[in-house]
Amino acid sequence: MPVTLMDRLPLPNLKVYSAGSVLLLSIAAYYAVNVTSDPNWRTNATLQKQQDVHIEPADMDGARNLTEQMMEVMTFMIQEPLCMWTLINMSWCLLAVGGWAVVRAVFGRLRVGEAQRAKDKLWNYVFYKFIFVFGVLNVHYLDELLLWCAWFTLLGALTILTQLAKDRFEYLSSSPTSSTWAHGRLVALLAGELIAGAALMAVAARWGLPAGRDTFAFMAAECLIAMVPCVHVVARFVLRARGVDAAGSAAYYTHLVFDAVGLVAETGHVAHMVVHSNAVVSMASMVLLMQLRHLLHALLARLKRHRLYAALAHHMSRNYPMASPEEVEKNQDNCAICWEPMKEARKLPCAHLFHNSCLCRWVQQDASCPTCRRSLSARPTPPPATLTPMSPLNPLNPLTHIGSDPPAANHLFHFDGSRYVSWLPSFSVEVTRVPAPATATPAPQTNTPLSPQLDAIIAQVSAVFPQYSAAAVRADVSRTRSAHLTIENILEGRLPAPPSPPTENARHVNLEPAATAPETVADLHSAESAGAEFSESAAEREMALRRRKMQLLNAARRRYLQRLRPNTTEHGMMS
Amino acid sequence: MAGSALRRLMAEYKQLTLNPPEGIIAGPVNEENFFEWEALITGPEGTCFEGGIFPAKLQFPPDYPLSPPKMQFICEMFHPNIYADGRVCISILHAPGDDPMGYETSAERWSPVQSVEKILLSVVSMLAEPNDESGANVDAAKMWREDREQFNTIAERLVRKTLDLSPL
Repeated sequence: MPVTLMDRLPLPNLKVYSAGSVLLLSIAAYYAVNVTSDPNWRTNATLQKQQDVHIEPADMDGARNLTEQMMEVMTFMIQEPLCMWTLINMSWCLLAVGGWAVVRAVFGRLRVGEAQRAKDKLWNYVFYKFIFVFGVLNVHYLDELLLWCAWFTLLGALTILTQLAKDRFEYLSSSPTSSTWAHGRLVALLAGELIAGAALMAVAARWGLPAGRDTFAFMAAECLIAMVPCVHVVARFVLRARGVDAAGSAAYYTHLVFDAVGLVAETGHVAHMVVHSNAVVSMASMVLLMQLRHLLHALLARLKRHRLYAALAHHMSRNYPMASPEEVEKNQDNCAICWEPMKEARKLPCAHLFHNSCLCRWVQQDASCPTCRRSLSARPTPPPATLTPMSPLNPLNPLTHIGSDPPAANHLFHFDGSRYVSWLPSFSVEVTRVPAPATATPAPQTNTPLSPQLDAIIAQVSAVFPQYSAAAVRADVSRTRSAHLTIENILEGRLPAPPSPPTENARHVNLEPAATAPETVADLHSAESAGAEFSESAAEREMALRRRKMQLLNAARRRYLQRLRPNTTEHGMMS
Repeated sequence: MAGSALRRLMAEYKQLTLNPPEGIIAGPVNEENFFEWEALITGPEGTCFEGGIFPAKLQFPPDYPLSPPKMQFICEMFHPNIYADGRVCISILHAPGDDPMGYETSAERWSPVQSVEKILLSVVSMLAEPNDESGANVDAAKMWREDREQFNTIAERLVRKTLDLSPL
């Protein structure tokens, strides 16, 4: 259940925050030094003793005085509440900077989608932990609150890093060639995370256990929930490194186990929270119950999907034998569904070979051979009811699913601070129910994640559909609050069509550079007919694609004008 | 699942780049989002669309290739099988489950062995030979049947427009 914060939540960026923290700390330190420079700041035995010892050589005395003064400043700062807070703030700041440094070192520049998802995840996390601390634990003492904050800060950092690692792993594994260095850094990060997770678990055992079984259970569950995705990524790494068929049954069951363990742990954790808070009627327990319901749904959907998969797999293994190793050997082609090489394959009666799991996923949609369309349902298939559009494969496809039943169960809490005092912030918290956890890891599109800022969404949509007026897009976005729902609406034609013929803009994007790039005729010919090369860097590929498009367009324009030349001259050129 | 979709898209992109069919270019404009591609299609020779370079957008679902992408021209189009907003209506782009026109056999529809290249080639042949029975644009279908002259004039205007040349 992702929570999206939107509108203007005035948050400083890291630079401003750390500068502010350092400033505050120095003010506090200055204050502490000032106070403690007065020898009588406290009439304390150690202080008196210190003043008596005056017989030692001056240089040693000076050095010791300095260290002692430092000690005093420290004690003062810890005792004085205001200074204490600046210290706490500073440690947060250090953690944030450290996290940023780790992210920079391991991931380099984050891709837009990754940053977006990490941000969403962070706010989601903060929201639920807030509910947990104040709604479930009912923390009363400041010390306790601080300890929980520290705990969740560390766990939260771990969770966010795992999310980033998962996204990056998916991206790396989809690139045709990726450097071993990038993989190495990712593995190092994952190893670090595992160690940190183990350490946190030890902390839970050491300090959580004496505090009561409930506390320990909460802490251990939190740890477990944070670690499962991390181990999952590691497992996927291992599967990939060992060259296991990405769509094979080994990979399938690995994913199943991790999905199930994660969901069960989370469900148990939330149920425990509900029981612990005695299920009193409060905002917190409502949120918890909503989350519990969502988790149970997700768990059931996963189980149902698995049952269907198992039934299909059983049906297929009974009716269509696996191809013999010789046949697979003889068949040079890749699997026609995923375009990846086959180590083992299932053979259909029409002698076409596919990965077992690819075939299973396809047959859930349509019971026919993908290549020759020969029907596979001659024998009694598991219920053809599963072949309707509402098949459990749909959760895999959030676009169509959400598009088909618009904003069903979105809960929106909106707080407009400016109605009370001008400087109060305004923010909205949106709780969106998504059908299944599978959709919580949507495809890495820049426009898929629930974007927290309407303006950003509008800009995104307008960039895709420059022909639609900003007002129309705004109206729809304010209703859907999501870029991809709006884009879906536009694609489905639910928005008023643009008044003028579309995409003057889009055309000009392609053409502007054309004027600045002089090209010879021979150049154009060769570029058009021959294929380009496929670079390993995304930026170079994008550049090459743009160049090839421009060349195609220029060549076409030239040819067109040549064809017309007998009756029209080049004055037709607009530029 | 997005992982396998991404791998497949990357493989297709590579193939289309290294071995492009004549007059067709396709690829993700911004690789941050690999699920949205732009394609340029050259109007087939010997037809009223000859010489035009028609840009289109392809939007892939997360479970590609199990579900077909959506294709939409982002230039002005006037064609019996293209909706007024640019969406393309050909059977290869329809999932086996849905049949908006109600007469396609499933054999003509989407299957995971199809690919971007095959889609774009089908669109080229659709430009060359409109199917005036499935009217996505009824006006265009009618004009194609009854007033070919005027249809050709409009097509010529569109071709010039895609090349950014002033109207004749």
